[in-house]
Amino acid sequence: MSKENTVRLISAEGFEFVIDYEAACVSNTIKNMLSSQGSFTESELGEIKFPEISTPILEKVCQYFYYKLRYTNSTHDIPPFDIAPEYALELLMASNYLDT
Amino acid sequence: MDREIIELQPGWEKCRMYINKLIAFLEKETESAFTSEEYMSFYTIVYNMCTQKNPYDFSQELYQRYRDSFTGYISERVAPALQEKNGEAMLHELTMRWENHKLMVRLLSRIFKYLDRYYVSRYNLDYLNDVGLMCFRDIVYEYMKPTMKNAVLSMVLKEREGEQIDRQLVKTVLEIFVEIGLGNMKNYEEDFEKYILEETSLHYRTKASEWIEDDSCPAYMIKAEKCLELEKDRVNQQQQVEGAGGASAKDADGASKQVNSGYFHHTTESRLLDCVEDELLAKYEMQLLEKENSGCVALLREDKKEDLARMYRLFSRIPKGKEPVAKMLSKHIESEGMAMVKECNERAEQAKAEALTKSKKERRNQESQETVFVKRLIKLHDKYLLYVQECFDNDALFHKALKEAFENFCHKQVANCACSELLASFCDNLLKKGSGEKLSGDAIEETFEKICKLLAYISDKDMYAEFYRKKLSKRLLFDRSANEDHERSMLARLKQQCGPQFTSKMEGMLTDLQVAKDNQGRFEQHLEKNPEKKPPLDLSVLVLTQGFWPSYPVNTMIIPDEMEKGIEIFKEFYDLKTKHRKLTWVFTLGVCHLSGRFGSPREKKYNFQMNTMQAAVMMLFNSEEKLSFGEVRDRLKLDDADVIRLLHSLSCAKYKLLLKNPPGKTVSKTDIFELNTKFQDKMARIRIPLPPVEQEKKKVAEIVHADRRYQIDAAIVRIMKARKVLKHSELMTETVTQLSSSFKPDVKTIKKRIMDLIERDFLERDKNDPQLFRYLA
Repeated sequence: MSKENTVRLISAEGFEFVIDYEAACVSNTIKNMLSSQGSFTESELGEIKFPEISTPILEKVCQYFYYKLRYTNSTHDIPPFDIAPEYALELLMASNYLDT
Repeated sequence: MDREIIELQPGWEKCRMYINKLIAFLEKETESAFTSEEYMSFYTIVYNMCTQKNPYDFSQELYQRYRDSFTGYISERVAPALQEKNGEAMLHELTMRWENHKLMVRLLSRIFKYLDRYYVSRYNLDYLNDVGLMCFRDIVYEYMKPTMKNAVLSMVLKEREGEQIDRQLVKTVLEIFVEIGLGNMKNYEEDFEKYILEETSLHYRTKASEWIEDDSCPAYMIKAEKCLELEKDRVNQQQQVEGAGGASAKDADGASKQVNSGYFHHTTESRLLDCVEDELLAKYEMQLLEKENSGCVALLREDKKEDLARMYRLFSRIPKGKEPVAKMLSKHIESEGMAMVKECNERAEQAKAEALTKSKKERRNQESQETVFVKRLIKLHDKYLLYVQECFDNDALFHKALKEAFENFCHKQVANCACSELLASFCDNLLKKGSGEKLSGDAIEETFEKICKLLAYISDKDMYAEFYRKKLSKRLLFDRSANEDHERSMLARLKQQCGPQFTSKMEGMLTDLQVAKDNQGRFEQHLEKNPEKKPPLDLSVLVLTQGFWPSYPVNTMIIPDEMEKGIEIFKEFYDLKTKHRKLTWVFTLGVCHLSGRFGSPREKKYNFQMNTMQAAVMMLFNSEEKLSFGEVRDRLKLDDADVIRLLHSLSCAKYKLLLKNPPGKTVSKTDIFELNTKFQDKMARIRIPLPPVEQEKKKVAEIVHADRRYQIDAAIVRIMKARKVLKHSELMTETVTQLSSSFKPDVKTIKKRIMDLIERDFLERDKNDPQLFRYLA
């Protein structure tokens, strides 16, 4: 897996979240999109715009990616992933969109 | 979050725009497919259209239009393009289109993924992936099937004829067949595999019929092997990395070092090879083997080991391929063995005829035909054993063939002796002193090994045992054994091969000799201590256990007084140690050293070594000058045959100690004998041999047969005791099995013994069933 590669996720407001390729692939949608662009090169391509997802939501989503990566296949105590209730609905819709 | 409702028509227009863009990319009209922006917006549109509330939930329509866009594209652009071209060009086009199609499916299904997730599973429809493939299949594949297949077949044919083809192309095409099947191999098998198998059979059938006429067996086999290799190469071996294979197959010179360049799917392998084998090998097997100058027999004759090994390899692939080869091997060995037997017999006849003309020296130096035969037998066996091990891969079937062949001709008689006797004499030669052979210790051990192996093929093992025993006793008694260690090692091998019962008596003989020597030592000590008991002659006695040794004729002859006294003194000594034992004196085996003065005018003292009985005869002449035949016989109380022999050895052989009147070469009952005072010879120590009784062979056979009767009896009684009631046929088989380790019993003999046992009240016939026997306790 390419180590250096990062992906930029851009929210509706234009904020850029730079995360690893691996983290981004937690989302099937993102993964499919990235891999259908021909063969993946070593350069730092990969910029995705999400005009419908607001910044705090996207931020939470990115956190979730890392959370998922960190604790997959681990049997020790897994800390809970807290979601503030006001974000819950939007987060839900975003994750449906992203297939996460 | 509120979003704009997207209507179907406008929404779909946008989608259509993107799809067209993709198609343009595929048709190589533009550079790249989608940027990430376009991708995302496309995806978003679809997503939105599916997640809108009813009646704006356009999932179904989207699904339908997804499919339609495929069918549209394919029918409009793809199919016509394919139909224009032919043959190899067509295949190229096809592969390209297929790749494109796959790409398209991949991209679009990702975009429409949302449908997959919910709509498809809810309504249990086909997944988008499959939809795409099915479109391609229905429109393109179904029509193109036969042309594809033909094109591929013609390419394969070209390769078989020796041309280079684009293997990668074929491989990709075949992959299409596989993938079209959507998970199972049905398409591949029906639309392609069937035909290729037929084609292969046909191809090889014609080839084979050509080759079989023109080529010799080895050449044919080499070609066959090559074809099999090539065909195997054409199959895509499963475990290798496919990428590497594909890349290197494109080498211009088709270098064969790549991992795999095969194109047939790996499941085809076994069926393909079966096909080829069937056509090339199975159909022509018998013809190949029986070819006049180059078939199996010829190969065996000419020792073509490599060809034989190849033959074995090839024929072991087809079912029942090995049997004919094994049979031929067996027949060949048998015929060679028979030829050997015949030759030896003829030479023996010849030798007999010449015996009268050749001098004694020549005769002694020429190895007897028997030894020659045994040696050749050993060599033959070694040779074919090596064949079985090297060429035929130690296959059990071939070992069996070897065994059968040997068993068959080892029964034949050579120079009037059975094989068992020949082997026994051969062993005797090896083990006795002064034999012509001087082999090193290891060589002797090896030869013993081989003899034991040959022993396995003889069915009359007890005959061999008897002969061996007789010769062993002669060796031991007359101290002619070269090396005791060899004797013991040979016995150990025999024990291993045939069981301890075989060798128990012989081992007894060896130990007996030890004991007897000890005994003799003690006897001498005893005489030292009691000098007044010394006999008038030096006496040494070997006391043997009667059961172990072969039976020797015992005669009660009158021996000279001196000997008589010696015997008595020994008897006293022996009784001191062990009571209740009876000593029977065997004079035929004794050796006597006699000293006499012969010659005139000067008397010279000679030391004669002769048999005890001969000595007794000579002692008679101490008191008389002349004796007639009858007198000699009466005084010694021997029978005529013995007397003739004795007198013959003393008067008509090389050293004439007695003069016969009338002179001549034979002794008759009216002859008169007198001491030859004029006897002289350069040597002072002379050995006077006593020729053995000629009837030995027959006697041995009789002994063995008698022994066998007892063994059969014992076996039958044993079996009946265990089973109580048994049918006739079963009893027969059981008996034969039990006795097979020593000899092969004759059915009639067994029947006779059963009758005998019934008469002796060991068995009885069942009253109701005449085939049933019952044991009587």
